[in-house]
Order: sequence, then structure tokens, then C-alpha cells
Amino acid sequence: MTAAVPGRLARDSRLIAGRQLRVLRMNPGRLIYPLVQPLVLLVLFVSVLGNLAVTRQPGDGSYREFLIPGVLVMNAALTAPASGLALLRDAGNGLADRFRSLPMSRAAVLTGRLGPDAVIFAVQAVLLLGEAALLGFRVRAGLPGLAAIVAVAVAFGLAVAVTSTWLALLINDAETAERVLYFPAIAIAFVSSAFAPVSDLAGWMQPIARANPVSAAAGLIRSLSSGGPAARPLLQLACWVTGLIIVPGMLAVRRWQAPS
Amino acid sequence: MSPACSPAIEAAGVVKAFGPVTALDRVDLTVGPGTLTALLGPNGAGKTTLVRIIATLSRPDAGRVRVLGYDVAAQAAQVRARIGLTGQYAGLDEELRGRDNLVLIGRLAGLRRRHAYQRAAELAGTFGLADAIDRTVRTYSGGMRRRLDLAASLMARPALLVLDEPTTGLDPGSRQQLWAALSGLRAEGTTMLLTTQYLEEADRFADMVHVLDRGRILASGTAAQLKARAGSGVAEIRLYEAAAAPAAARALAERLSLPPGAIRTEAGTGRLTLAAPDGTATLLAAAAALAAAGITVDDLGLRQPSLDEAFLALTGAAA
Repeated sequence: MTAAVPGRLARDSRLIAGRQLRVLRMNPGRLIYPLVQPLVLLVLFVSVLGNLAVTRQPGDGSYREFLIPGVLVMNAALTAPASGLALLRDAGNGLADRFRSLPMSRAAVLTGRLGPDAVIFAVQAVLLLGEAALLGFRVRAGLPGLAAIVAVAVAFGLAVAVTSTWLALLINDAETAERVLYFPAIAIAFVSSAFAPVSDLAGWMQPIARANPVSAAAGLIRSLSSGGPAARPLLQLACWVTGLIIVPGMLAVRRWQAPS
Repeated sequence: MSPACSPAIEAAGVVKAFGPVTALDRVDLTVGPGTLTALLGPNGAGKTTLVRIIATLSRPDAGRVRVLGYDVAAQAAQVRARIGLTGQYAGLDEELRGRDNLVLIGRLAGLRRRHAYQRAAELAGTFGLADAIDRTVRTYSGGMRRRLDLAASLMARPALLVLDEPTTGLDPGSRQQLWAALSGLRAEGTTMLLTTQYLEEADRFADMVHVLDRGRILASGTAAQLKARAGSGVAEIRLYEAAAAPAAARALAERLSLPPGAIRTEAGTGRLTLAAPDGTATLLAAAAALAAAGITVDDLGLRQPSLDEAFLALTGAAA
């Protein structure tokens, strides 16, 4: 049993990932929300707010340059809850019992979703960066910088997806979860440096915004696009991503496999 | 302990409560290898709870359950590798094709890719799904879904197949098809445990029947043994005057020397029912008893016991 577990986890994760991708292929309409809505939101944010202000951020770029990384991260946060909701839908029907009665790796039901989720976050980031380029967004670090920005969006998105999966399983009711999960996603996007520098936020928000993984992700993307120190946001984001994937991830697996 | 010669299922003293509700109350159950065993009982009897414990989906609060020689709590992985479960709700992904479902479940059960595809095609043929196998499950009828679900449970050739109300919600034609499939499996020697609310199904197909009600096994035996205990039928009597029912019940109890609980009267309708272990002889004796007591009978007849009445006869308890 001991030696077979990691092999089984990898194999079963691939099988579950294959299932997710096949479902997407048969229902391409599912991609409208994660892939088209972000493009619309980016245009709206940039058109409405883009010329509003000149920030006092180091690097003295335009507000548009400041805003676009924030919108990128916000979209990943808004896309992530779908992952938990999909798992909760599975948990509520006979398929969950089928999986639990199979001699498969218990964690694979969750880990198998990470691959397809990562693909969605990556495609979303690539599309957004393409649109941002049309809107005049330039990345100083060039192609490696663009790749790094996509990686940041994927890592951040997966961390929120895993956390939302655990929360969804805790809520344990698809309809409630659907209403509840998007609110924190919006809240963490606003109480952060996504749309305004931390120093411009209301006083009580500032400590939260400084610790917020959204700030870390947006800050890191800004360092990659317009230069500036990357070490601090990178370290902060790495801690958040590792912590949010491991702790809620393990709690979610435990919750999924708990016998009633 | 050699799993090969132990019973397929051995449950002793199983207790399971959900909050204040006791779903299973010290249940003992033995299922012999190669048999088709039915758990018969009404909604809420505890059938599903017992099946879920056997399939490692739920843990008993007390008691011990061994499946194919393995403990369901301590050796769940070994149990899962050897059983197939067809739950009350189809364990299928509606958005995938039938074939994708079978292959996915087969591979998660440990089959190699090629073998999974072969087995999927084979089972699709066996269960009359060959034409539908490349369609999305969403387009399947209820009967087709059930058969695909059953095929999915059989992908890895389980030694024990557990089915929770496999025929509930099916039309008579689909029910027949499903039973034909299960009979075929029994002929191949697959051990099966299934739950049903239908007395007639347990009667026709099961080698052993366990009657479960309110979390307890009330009776166990072959269908013939249980029927012998339940009586061959029920005498139903409708009186001319509804008000005469209490007098009629007294007369019947006295002349046929029946215990007071054996006769059921429906308040206000003048209808009485009683077990008729001797068939028409009981019916004639009842008619004679009522005639002697001067009570006019409107109608009387003999019918098969309903599930409720079978319980009543089996337990001797008043409903």
C-alpha cells in the first residue's frame, strides 16, 4: 500500500484531469465565463478608470499601467470559485459515491482538477495580456516577463481555487456556496493594491491590503511589467500560494473522504 | 484468515445513528458466496445505511462488518478493490459519453487502458447499450442509465456487487431488462446484495431475503420460508354496515381463535382484513363465523399480502 500511493495519486489525478478536459471539450460554453468575461471587464475597467489618475507609485507610469495588473489578478480571483463549485456539484450526486467506493487515490478527485484549472488560468492570462497589449500595456522584461506574469496568475488562481474548494465542501450546499463564494473573491480584490496604492486606501484597510495575496500578485506583476523590486512581493506571494494550497488543500481532501 | 472461504458479507451487531435517529439497531447479516441476497424493507428501514457501510461509504458506530474477509473500517482499500456499487443515484458523469464513463471508472478501478476499452465494449453489448455507448449520458433514458451504471460497477469484475434499489423508478419493461441482466450475473456466480421495496422482486429472484424495518432485521430466510410465515394471503371482508365492524372482529377472533391483533379494522369503512394462512378455507370459516353471528357481509375475497401485511405477519406486531 505504501509504495503504490504516490504512483496511484499521479495516475488517478491524470484520469480525473482527463475527465475535466473532456467535459470542457464537450461543453465549450463553459469557457465563456472564465475566458470572455475577463476580457470585457478589462475593457470596462480601463475605459472607465484608466485615465482617472496619475499614481504616486515608484516608476511613475500611468494609472492604466498600474490598473491592468490589478484587473488581471482580480479576474483570476473571480474565476477560481468555479472550481470548488464544480467539485461540490460532483459531491452532491451519485458520482461521488462511485468515486469513494473505488480503490482510487482519494486525493486525486481534488488534485486532478488542478491541471485543467491551471490551463484555464493560463489561457485567461494570455488572452488578457494580448488585450492589454492592444490597450497599450507594455512589459519591460519582454517574453520571459510575459511568461512570468502568466505563471503568477496561474499560481495565484490555483491557490484561490484550492481554498474555494475547501470552503465549498465546508458549506456543502451548491446553491449557498454559489452565493457565498464570490463575495470574498470580490472583497479580497478591492481590499488590496489591485486598483489603488495601499497608501491611498482607507486607514483600516491598509494592514489588510498589505498582507493580501492579491496585493502581492499585483505588485509582482507590476515589477515584471514596469520594473521595480520584485523580491518582496515574490516572497510574499510564494508564502501565500504554498500555504493556501497545502493547508486548505489537505483540509479539503480530508473533508471529501470523511466517511459519513 | 483466508478470504476465499469466508462469507461474502459478515455483519455483527451493526449500529448506526444519525443524531437522534437510529438507522441501524444491532444488525446481524451473513451473505454466502455466490448467492443473490435481498434486503427488503420500506423507505427509512435502514437499507441504504447498511449498504453504504458495506460499501465503505459510511462507518458503523458499533459492530463489525467484514466484506470478502476484509474489515470495512480497517481494510477499506482491500474491500473497495473487490466490490462494485450501484447506488440509488446513478454514479455517472452525465456530461460524458457512456463509453467515457465506463473507461474512466474502469481505469480508476485499476484496469489498464486497453483492457478498459475492451471491457467497456463487452459490457455495452451485454447490457444492450452498444448503439448508445457513444452518446452523452444526458440523452439516456432511466432504464439505460441504470444499465450503464450497472455496467460501470462491473468493469473490474467485482467479487461482490452491491445494488441499492436498482429497480426503483423504472418502468416495468426496464425493470424486466435489469432483472434479466442480474439473473445473468447470478448464473456466472457473482455474489449480489440488493435492496428492494418490492416483495415480489425479492420473491422471484433472491436466494435469501432479509426483512429490515426501523433498523432491525425482522426475519431472514428463503422467500418460500418467509411466505410460509407470512401466510398465503389476506382475507378482506367488507361489511354491509360499517358500524358492525367491532362486533364482526369479536366474532372472528372468537370463532377462528385468533389473537386480538390479527384482525385489522379500518375505522368507519366496515372493512376488515385478517391473515389467511389456509387460503380459501380461512375465507370460508370467516364467512361462516360472520353468518353465525348474524352479521351481513357485502363482499369478501382473498388477496396476496402486501408488504405491510407481510411485516405484520412476520413480526406479530400491530401496525
